[in-house]
Amino acid sequence: MPGPVIDDARVAPGHDGEAVLVVQVRHENGGVDSVTLDADCARRLLENCDAQVASDLRGKPWQHLLDVLPR
Amino acid sequence: MLDILIRNGRIVDGTGLPAFHGDIGIQGGRLARVGGQLTGPARHEIDACGQVVAPGFIDPHTHFDAQLMWDAQARPALEHGVTTVVNGNCSLSLAPLRAEHRPKLVSMFQQIEEMPDAAFDGAFAWEWESFADYVAALRGRVALNVAPLAGHSPLRMWVMGGAEAQKRAATPDEIRAMQDLLRDCLEAGAVGLSTSYVDMDENLFPVPSRFAHFEEIDALAAVLGEYGRMLQVVPEFYNTDITLARVDQLAELSLRHGIPTTFSPLFDSAVMPENVSRVLDRVGEQFQRGARVWPQVQTRPIDISFNLEVASLFFIALPAWYLTLRMPRDRKLAALGDPGTRQGLIDAAEPGGDTQRFAHLRVRDSRDASLIGRNLGEIAKERSTTPAAALIDLSLDEDLGVHFLSANMGHEDPSRIGPLIANDLVHVGASDAGAHIQSFATYGDTGYLFSEFVRKGHHLSLEHAVRKITGETAQIWGIPDRGLLRSGMAADVVVFDPETIARGDERPAHDMPENGMRYVREARGVDTVIVNGELTWSAKGGYTDARPGVVANA
Repeated sequence: MPGPVIDDARVAPGHDGEAVLVVQVRHENGGVDSVTLDADCARRLLENCDAQVASDLRGKPWQHLLDVLPR
Repeated sequence: MLDILIRNGRIVDGTGLPAFHGDIGIQGGRLARVGGQLTGPARHEIDACGQVVAPGFIDPHTHFDAQLMWDAQARPALEHGVTTVVNGNCSLSLAPLRAEHRPKLVSMFQQIEEMPDAAFDGAFAWEWESFADYVAALRGRVALNVAPLAGHSPLRMWVMGGAEAQKRAATPDEIRAMQDLLRDCLEAGAVGLSTSYVDMDENLFPVPSRFAHFEEIDALAAVLGEYGRMLQVVPEFYNTDITLARVDQLAELSLRHGIPTTFSPLFDSAVMPENVSRVLDRVGEQFQRGARVWPQVQTRPIDISFNLEVASLFFIALPAWYLTLRMPRDRKLAALGDPGTRQGLIDAAEPGGDTQRFAHLRVRDSRDASLIGRNLGEIAKERSTTPAAALIDLSLDEDLGVHFLSANMGHEDPSRIGPLIANDLVHVGASDAGAHIQSFATYGDTGYLFSEFVRKGHHLSLEHAVRKITGETAQIWGIPDRGLLRSGMAADVVVFDPETIARGDERPAHDMPENGMRYVREARGVDTVIVNGELTWSAKGGYTDARPGVVANA
């Protein structure tokens, strides 16, 4: 059964002046939410998804996102 | 005889009421008379013709903690007209703190404030442990007023020990001990408690406050309720839904214990365009219920800064760049220096010869002072090259140490920010002055308020803008005796030109202990700054030796 997927990912300015990646997740019921990743988490997400650019993340399962978030 | 007589000013008294013309007399540190024509005599006279006379500005979110111990004037905040600062934000304060916990707390401060070792190590004599002794150490030492928060993280360290504080929830006995300790802080002059759900230590491990369960926060808020004091929180601002949950939680604490609460940051971004409106809607609902949950919003835009030492996400839309910058350092240097790779990077950034992508980037810091502040478009033209090539060459020239800046990347649209900061539910603050010092300048947000949103955008009247950073701030925080120009109140006064007040250009300064670097902005259009009836800064004379600052609530 397909779960939530990454719908979009865009670069934004962070509070501390660093660039961050805002990843939007679309759930099966149509609901959307966003998670902000720092440079390190974003790098690991790209690697896990075998993605070169942010737009390559579209359609990837959100499990990849869960895997890179700090615990 | 008056100590100071300010003549012919346009008095904006901090209430938001219309300005009026008149004189102001100061005597014994107090406002002796506000309005009318005073005859004097006075020891010192100031001609304020054509200028605004307003209450000193109050900055409710600063990290002037260590800095105040070796820089009594919190430069350059004072020259911008700031006469009172709230410090101890984001769960971190210099007291209460046992001597054995100092190294750990210093590391946390360095992570959050980007203060160099020298700012703590030998720059001042650390003579206190208790909050009362910290307050005593500030007395007679500072040029502006301090309204200190007690930090939740050192509070935990004091009671639980440094290691346990950063490991687990507190026991009921430990919570009771923290309550007693917080009571001592409030008795000594703390204006509230600060906590954080976000901040990290030097090892990127959560700061102690983040290990608290709700029962602990609730118990500490109950103590704040005994004094009607503020709870300041850094919520999970990177996610709107979690922020909404924190707003609801703060509202419950506010209602249950009768306390004001405030959270920061809240900022606008094109990538999360509904963030601010959703949070403000929820804040409005909670105010309707009678809670006090003040979102702090900064006035200045947010920039992105980077160097080629690390793979900034700024380059994520350019895979060739991003992959190159992710290489180990030696391989990266070799790749950037390789003619073929270099040309490939330039072609990727400037397809078809379109050089716009990097032309606007400014050099933020370089060993070559002549480059600082200039954009890559200019520099490239001067060197008969392109901006992308200049970016690579400048970086290689200084072993990747050159910092670049992409300005106004977020919180930058005046048509959105103007109405936001004019909103009655928004607390203008979140300057973070004294933090992030090696990344960007956190000074001059008050000048920017007037230049951008009063003069240029007309989003606020002059009186409204003054009220937002004086009378309203004092009211929200329960800071007595300040924020208004009213006879009998403390004489914190700023004289400024409403047609020119602004923030200066950002520039690197090497004025930290042991010549450490930070970014600063000088004031524009401010004429005179008076604290508790004493002249502390003037455009003509600069900083004075006066140290009239007090702990605002002690």
